[in-house]
Amino acid sequence: MADSLVQENKPKQILPENTINTLVPQVEVPRVIKTAPPRYRNEIAKYIIRRSSECTLCGKCAQVCPYGVHVLKPGYKNFAAPRQHVCIGPSCQQTGHYCVDLCPQKALKMVENPMLKCLGDYRWTPDMLLATWKMAETGAPPLPEYGYDYHTGASGGGFDRLRFKFPDKPEVELTEDEIDTSIELNHRDDGRPQIKIDVPWYGGGMSFGSVSNITQLSKARAATAFNTFTCTGEGGYMERMRPYDEHVITQVATGLFGVREETIQRVRIVEFKYAQGAKPGLGGHLLADKVTPTVAKMRETVTGISLFSPFPFHSVYSIEDHKKHMDWIKHVNRRALISTKVSTPADVDMVAVGSYSAGTHIVHLDGGYGGTGAAPDIAKKNIAMPIEYAIVKVHRFLEQEGIRDKVTLICSGGLRTSHDIAKAIALGADGVVIGTAELVALGCLRCARCESGRGCPRGIATTDPELSEMVNLDWGTQRIINLYSAWRKELVDILIRFGIRSVREFRGRTDLLTHLDYTNDVEHHQ
Amino acid sequence: MNRQMIEKLLLSRQNLNSGLGLAMPTTKGEEEGGCGVVGFCCTEPVAARHIHEPSKQMHNRGNGKGGGIAALGFVPEQLGVSRDVLDNYYMVHVAFLDTGVRAELERKYITPYFDMASSRQLETLDDWTSIPALEAKPPDVWCYFVRVKPQILDAFITKNGFSLLSRDEAEDEFLSQQSIKLNQEFYASLGDKKAFVMSYGKNIMILKVVGYAEAITEYYKIDDLRAHIWIAHQRFPTKGRVWHPGGAHPFGAMNTALVHNGDFANYHSVSEYLAQRHIYPQFLTDTEVAVQLFDLLDRTYHYPLEYIIESLAPTSELDFDRLPKEKQRIYRAIQATQIHSSPDGPWFFIIARNLPEEKKFQLMGITDTAMLRPQVFAFNDGEVQVGLICSEKQAIDATLLSMSREDSRICPIADRYWNARGGSHTDGGSFIFNLEKNAAGKMRLTCADKFGVPVQLPAGTEVSSLSEEIKMAHSDNNNIENSIRQLFDAGSHIVYEYMLNSLPAWSFSEVSLACETIRSLAKDPDKTATAIEVLTWLNDRRYASGTKKRKHILQIVREALHQLFDGLPGLAESTASAYRLIGYASRELLREPLNGETTLVIDTKGFSPEGNDCDATLLMDAYFKGWRRFISFNCAGQRFTGCGLGPETHDVTIDVYDSSGDYLASGIDGLTVTVHGNAQDQLGQIIKAGKLVIHGDTGQTFLYGAKGGSIYVMGNAAGRPLINSVGKPRVVINGTCLDFLAESFMAGDVFNGGGFVILNGVAFDDEGRLVPLREPYPGSNLFSLASGGALYIRDPGNRVVKQQLNGGQFMPLTGEDWDIILPYLQENERLFGIKVDDLLTVDGTKRTPAEVYRKIAPTQLAALSSKKVEPEKQSALVADE
Repeated sequence: MADSLVQENKPKQILPENTINTLVPQVEVPRVIKTAPPRYRNEIAKYIIRRSSECTLCGKCAQVCPYGVHVLKPGYKNFAAPRQHVCIGPSCQQTGHYCVDLCPQKALKMVENPMLKCLGDYRWTPDMLLATWKMAETGAPPLPEYGYDYHTGASGGGFDRLRFKFPDKPEVELTEDEIDTSIELNHRDDGRPQIKIDVPWYGGGMSFGSVSNITQLSKARAATAFNTFTCTGEGGYMERMRPYDEHVITQVATGLFGVREETIQRVRIVEFKYAQGAKPGLGGHLLADKVTPTVAKMRETVTGISLFSPFPFHSVYSIEDHKKHMDWIKHVNRRALISTKVSTPADVDMVAVGSYSAGTHIVHLDGGYGGTGAAPDIAKKNIAMPIEYAIVKVHRFLEQEGIRDKVTLICSGGLRTSHDIAKAIALGADGVVIGTAELVALGCLRCARCESGRGCPRGIATTDPELSEMVNLDWGTQRIINLYSAWRKELVDILIRFGIRSVREFRGRTDLLTHLDYTNDVEHHQ
Repeated sequence: MNRQMIEKLLLSRQNLNSGLGLAMPTTKGEEEGGCGVVGFCCTEPVAARHIHEPSKQMHNRGNGKGGGIAALGFVPEQLGVSRDVLDNYYMVHVAFLDTGVRAELERKYITPYFDMASSRQLETLDDWTSIPALEAKPPDVWCYFVRVKPQILDAFITKNGFSLLSRDEAEDEFLSQQSIKLNQEFYASLGDKKAFVMSYGKNIMILKVVGYAEAITEYYKIDDLRAHIWIAHQRFPTKGRVWHPGGAHPFGAMNTALVHNGDFANYHSVSEYLAQRHIYPQFLTDTEVAVQLFDLLDRTYHYPLEYIIESLAPTSELDFDRLPKEKQRIYRAIQATQIHSSPDGPWFFIIARNLPEEKKFQLMGITDTAMLRPQVFAFNDGEVQVGLICSEKQAIDATLLSMSREDSRICPIADRYWNARGGSHTDGGSFIFNLEKNAAGKMRLTCADKFGVPVQLPAGTEVSSLSEEIKMAHSDNNNIENSIRQLFDAGSHIVYEYMLNSLPAWSFSEVSLACETIRSLAKDPDKTATAIEVLTWLNDRRYASGTKKRKHILQIVREALHQLFDGLPGLAESTASAYRLIGYASRELLREPLNGETTLVIDTKGFSPEGNDCDATLLMDAYFKGWRRFISFNCAGQRFTGCGLGPETHDVTIDVYDSSGDYLASGIDGLTVTVHGNAQDQLGQIIKAGKLVIHGDTGQTFLYGAKGGSIYVMGNAAGRPLINSVGKPRVVINGTCLDFLAESFMAGDVFNGGGFVILNGVAFDDEGRLVPLREPYPGSNLFSLASGGALYIRDPGNRVVKQQLNGGQFMPLTGEDWDIILPYLQENERLFGIKVDDLLTVDGTKRTPAEVYRKIAPTQLAALSSKKVEPEKQSALVADE
């Protein structure tokens, strides 16, 4: 036990010398919130303001608005286009500084942005996108005045049908400082190091190839700031990622692209990707357009040729093969924890217990709600068990088998908000993995063009160098740090409202949830 | 069998089931992963303890939550019955989980129906907890030798209209139905299981426990029980809590016992097929369903064995097209009929059965069409013959070693080791060992594939016992000793040449004397390296040995090698030598190499196959302490040899002797690993750089995701080699592969540093001469979906056809191609003695490379390529890789 309580990882004692020699100094990233304004001058807003020709440029609107929507730059004849995304909308009417009412010429008009009609989708509603952008900008939950309805989407299923049963008053009064959001990842007591992450989530695997290297690096830097992890995905390990090795999970997936002993030895967690919830049974695929010379070089393949990761591992067709596979990686990296990422078939509970007995530290269930535009529509949401059922099924089965506290259960697949995260934990997960939300923080519009090399209008899920340059690394890092900060605040708030001290105590508290399909409960809204 | 009788049989089962209320299961009782399976048969009855070694060797394929064994062909005296009773009575084994129900069970199901020749409880140890390999108390087992009472059988025949069945067949069916009824009342219908029938056939026994298989013989005190066939199974159920062995393998039906490694993807479909024929599972595992299916096709439908195998593992694709027309017609009908019952997904069956009417025992292995589970067959000829089937070759080696220690007539090395090619037109993915008496009344073993084609065994004189032979014909041939001593300083090549020239004429005792001389010379530190080299060559190379069988030469050579290694100084000794020996007991002594010490010799005996206590970990630690050259010997399936050393290891060499294990040399990044013998599965995964040499065959998914390195295989690679390979691996395979060679090969441009595979399609005959295989590549899929690299295939007869390619195209071999591959063929010549000139010689005539080798290069598949790829703009943002 003593060994596994070692909080610090001491690679020097465990890693081969020639690997130690290749390790690079680790970079720290401060966890500070700084405003990271949108990249575009005219950020999409929920409401837009129209200014008619009646305007006399009196400047009243700019004077009354505390948010700085109206800007008349010195030396300019006319108002600049209003900074609508900071406008709180019709709720301003109650405030006494509502520009529309106060305009002497009645030259201003506020209308709902018609663009919202085509923004987002049922899962990621326009409000949810706007709120996430807002959090990434400010580092705090959006002001209530904005009126964003963003804790649930409009999918009509999954987490969108789950609600918290908040008590009117918590049994214990707690303050923010008393809440612990950290979780431990090694419950095996097997002499491997303990790893504690400060928030109950880490970043999901997106390869260089599926997203740009700036996107990957932004994720890694934010993970470093929050003492959590990000994952390389399957596509090699960028040299530029190495100053963040301590916060990187490297993936061993079915295509084995870019996997080398050296990359396995760099990290503290190695993830086996057996399947993706968004496309279980289909393996991975990176379409030809995205296989630029740089991507091809990293994966040592041929430029312009689609890359397929088979399903499943050709070397693993059974549980004892899985054990052998895992033993191999454990042999190569004697300090690494192993995560096993699987989708959610009907027998996912057996898969989880099997993985545990084969030696995994983390069972990672990937449900079907996630996936970027690159996952085929026919597969997304249409295969395997919904994640909210899978979590409970696995959590309970692990309890029955008496091994719930010996394995870490992580889930992913369509977790979009802090509320989704809290719900997943209440259902029985120890923590979660997030994917799309980080891309949204970087400005993703959910336009679902990710499979196309030059299709990403925001330069996030692209390998085109010119498009990639649209995102600046510091800005990208800050946006994700801000999102994490806002989420953590919201998560702490949820725990305070329940009077629960830590996310670990919150695990498996299905009694605190209600499902709208199965109860007559009136909506307990946040 | 006529249709009417089949209908009567099915109807009687329907009537039986309607009384029992059996139902079609919707899900399996528990999920099952793969497992370790082993089976062997021998012309002499073999003691149960020999199942110990292979079972232990495959511990890591199970998790101790289920083990089972089956045995067929007993010695009557050991069971306290007469030969007549053993041959003609049913041997019913009932497992009592609740011992209190025995009287009731016997009263209800046994006494009224059967004449009993004998009944006894299997003896057990008093305290099951004294056996660490057991996880729960094994059931009490009773064995009854019974025949159905004549009047009961008459009534059964009349009631069911079985008049057209033979009386024996009707009696078999009675036993089968009685066992279903018993299991339903005392097992399947209950929450708390009480008792169940483990086996009920003739001259067959099945025992199973919650624990590892080898615990069975210990607990039931049957270590000395002898039988002609043994099969064993280590299980890895994914459910954690198991308290009784009902779900463990083997499963029996009539005179058949089956163990299974794998998992049916279509359990539901197969169950439904069976349910339509009124057969329902009671233990809810796919193994039970498999044996029920086999029994249905065999005992009810009377399919010949070949058609049963076709029903289970259908012949597909090009293999189907290559079948004779008449066979195609029959197979098409079988496939159409059995499509819903054909088990899908990864599976490998080992089946043992007694055919009392033919006075014959059979042991067979059947692999699924895609060959997704590992399997190795071996035949050991001689006065005592042994046939073996295992998940891992090392388990075969362990079994033979264990048997040879008891019976010197058995050579620890088999005459042949091979894999089956699933659903193929070549061997049908199955081999059957037949054990029956010859005209002289002596038990003899033969082996044939699905189509009845016998396995060819090397010719040569049979030695009844090698050690006797060496002793009896002992000659003090001073010449040999003197010659070797004189030649030694001239170098290992010269000694080897001398040995090669002399070997055909030498007697075994002279071979032994020569090896002994070399071994004793090794004591001189200056000569150790030469001695190791010569003996290693004798171990690795193929050469003429006169009438002496190669396996016996190998036995002598390997013994000498082992003695040589064993005699090397340990780390605590001060003897001058470049070599230092370390073993499990002395592992704590590991230290840095001192002056003049170059090579660490690791005796791997006793090391666990994986984990902190494995020899690969010791090797890693030794490397970090500064050792650079390694010899590992006595390997028995230990895994990960050479893994974990990290990058920049070009100065490291590892030589591996005996039964090396899975994942050897995976991920190596610079070092050289040489396997002196056959290798196992998953070798060289993701190899980045370095060299891997295999003096034999290698197993499944060889070089998966490899990125570089030069790799040489003397023999064959099994299924799915080089899948998803990228970068620049350069591979020479001198034999062939089962299927799916270089699927999704993405290794760049061969003219620009990319990778390739040279497939020579040749083998050695018994005289050590190179002979072409019937086909250089028999599989249906070659270079499928490849987008880079190339394949060079020695195919002077143009046997490989376009239909085998899906994404590849034949290209002419140019001078430029030859310039690239020639150095690799030359190195191949140096390593294995396979001369480039011989490769270019066809039917005695030397040809040009372009006449002998064909190049296969990727085609631009529309499905894989983008419309247009422009050169990428250089950018500061592009990672500097």
